[in-house]
Amino acid sequence: MSGLPAERQPSLRRGLLVWLLLPLVVLIPLTTALIFGLTLRPALDALDRASTDTAVALSQIVEVRDGHASLPLSEQTARALRADLVDETMFAVGDGDGQLLGGSASLLQLAPRMQAGQWRFFEAKIDAKPIRVAAHGMQCGARADQICAILVAETLGKRSAVERAALLAALSGALVLALPLVVLAMLAVNRAMRPLSRAAAEVELLTPDRLETIDVRGVPREVTPFVLALNRLFARLRAAAAAQRAFVSDAAHQLRTPLAVLRVEAAQALATPHAQELRPALERLHAAAERGARLVQQLLALARADGTALDPTQRPQALDLAHLAAQAADRWLQPSLEAGQDLGFDLEPAWVDGYPVLLEELLGNLVHNAIEHAGPGARITIRTRTEDGRARLCVEDDGRGVPADERELAWQRFRRGREAAGTGSGLGLAIVADIARLHDADATLEPGSQGRGLRVQVRFAPRAGHGTT
Amino acid sequence: MHILLVEDDSPLAESIATAMRSRGWRADVSARGEPVPASLLQDAYDALVLDIGLPGIDGLETLRRVREQGSYLPVLMLTARDGVEDRVLGLEWGADDYLVKPFALSELLARLRALVRRHELRRSETLVLSALRFDASARRACIAERAIQLSARECIVLQYLMLKTGQVVAREQLTALVPGWDAATSDNALEMLMSRLRGKIEPGGVRLRTVRGLGYLLEPAAPA
Repeated sequence: MSGLPAERQPSLRRGLLVWLLLPLVVLIPLTTALIFGLTLRPALDALDRASTDTAVALSQIVEVRDGHASLPLSEQTARALRADLVDETMFAVGDGDGQLLGGSASLLQLAPRMQAGQWRFFEAKIDAKPIRVAAHGMQCGARADQICAILVAETLGKRSAVERAALLAALSGALVLALPLVVLAMLAVNRAMRPLSRAAAEVELLTPDRLETIDVRGVPREVTPFVLALNRLFARLRAAAAAQRAFVSDAAHQLRTPLAVLRVEAAQALATPHAQELRPALERLHAAAERGARLVQQLLALARADGTALDPTQRPQALDLAHLAAQAADRWLQPSLEAGQDLGFDLEPAWVDGYPVLLEELLGNLVHNAIEHAGPGARITIRTRTEDGRARLCVEDDGRGVPADERELAWQRFRRGREAAGTGSGLGLAIVADIARLHDADATLEPGSQGRGLRVQVRFAPRAGHGTT
Repeated sequence: MHILLVEDDSPLAESIATAMRSRGWRADVSARGEPVPASLLQDAYDALVLDIGLPGIDGLETLRRVREQGSYLPVLMLTARDGVEDRVLGLEWGADDYLVKPFALSELLARLRALVRRHELRRSETLVLSALRFDASARRACIAERAIQLSARECIVLQYLMLKTGQVVAREQLTALVPGWDAATSDNALEMLMSRLRGKIEPGGVRLRTVRGLGYLLEPAAPA
């Protein structure tokens, strides 16, 4: 699954997340700005209105007599008008000619030109302090262009506080909206992807031996075409594998009868009186016939081991390896006696779920190897055990053994050791490995007890549905 | 021995027949299964060797017809297939043994001898191996014409071993035969019995082998 540069590959998950989250990235700041503006504006307007109230109060105090305006303002009233808990406030009233009638002279200098009845609001600075000014024009004389300016100003403390509050409201609103949306989007995408991962895990479990059809139920509708395509591919692979097996099997079967003739004739020729100089040739002929017979047997075993799991008519059955080994005694005792060896047994019940013909073949190859390679005088023992709920089959000899560096290679097809005698095909252990793999068993080569000879162990997986007692 | 060999591959049939004849056996060859039931009625055969893959009716059908006419002749099936199905089918349909091509000549001959020996016991109650003879009804054994003294237990064990000549017999099979023995206590007793028996019968040209960890094997001292 890994090993591909992830950033170059299109990812459904990433695509979904981008299309879900990208709008959020744009929309949430937009919403935040909107909330901020909508909260701030009325608050600021309310503050301006407080200033206009003061200005209106001042305008009521202005008196116009004989065309001259004056501001009869007591110190107490002035203090009352300037009273504020937060901000510094000030006011200024000027007559139509720009003369100060009351309040702050420096504020009056900020007065804009105004029509009668006009209101102006603006920001300015006095003594480097930013202020907000409400200005009102008021006719205060006989002439229409005689406009008194009434200015009310305050520092920006309340306004800053209002701005901060509005910003806080907008940001917390955005956060409350954005966080759950992001989390929910990721959860939703993950949840939608889960059936995909499940389907992938199911495909991951398949091996070339077990190309079973994947169950489409529970797979999202969008992914179903892929799974169906995979299933069709598996079916074609199974068919191809079956055709190849059939070919190997047919070819081997066609070879069986002529090989039987060769074996019988070679043995018969050796048993019939013959000229002495013919003997070496007859012996070679006999050995070659034996070897050909075994090779065909092994090729068939390989074809069968490769095909058994794909063949729906074959099902593993419960069998005892000890029983299998005892049955093998008849077949292997004579060859071992002829090779001058002592073939013995050490059998305890060892139940497995397996294919009897294949396990027979596995054991046969192990025993045959031991007889071929252990040499005369060797002691060969077939052992079966159950340990921790796992059945174990072991063939051990005290013969020549296999050098450590050759042990791993020995499992490959047609691989023969440097010290191997002349007759092996190099298929025996490859067949053992194939059949073991088919049974979820580990096969290992190691030195025999006391470091002499060779021990081949096949450890089976615990049986399904049986406790490890 | 008189063998009827049914095999459609003529080189193989000739090879086997020649090998049998050179050992002093009589061997008749048929390439098809249809005439076999009639042939068995005409001649007294000791065993039938039957290939499964025959033109016309196959070996299994031939076997069925042979058994149908009431013949208990020992039948050894030959096949080019070694799937478990063929083996089970052949034995279910009444074959006595089964060999997969390409078999070794020695194995074919040994299996035939064993089949015929077992079959003869059913008829004559006398087992013969080299110079050793065992009369099953009288429970008496002799080498050449000289009787040998056997205990009742030794008789039971020897009869079973002679029936299974050339086959490995597990210890459990033997101890189960002897009344009053059980598997837990009888290993030593069986070993002593076998060692006594070995001393008594091996002068008759037979060998009683111990198969380490498994059981025993009775065979001719020199292969015939």
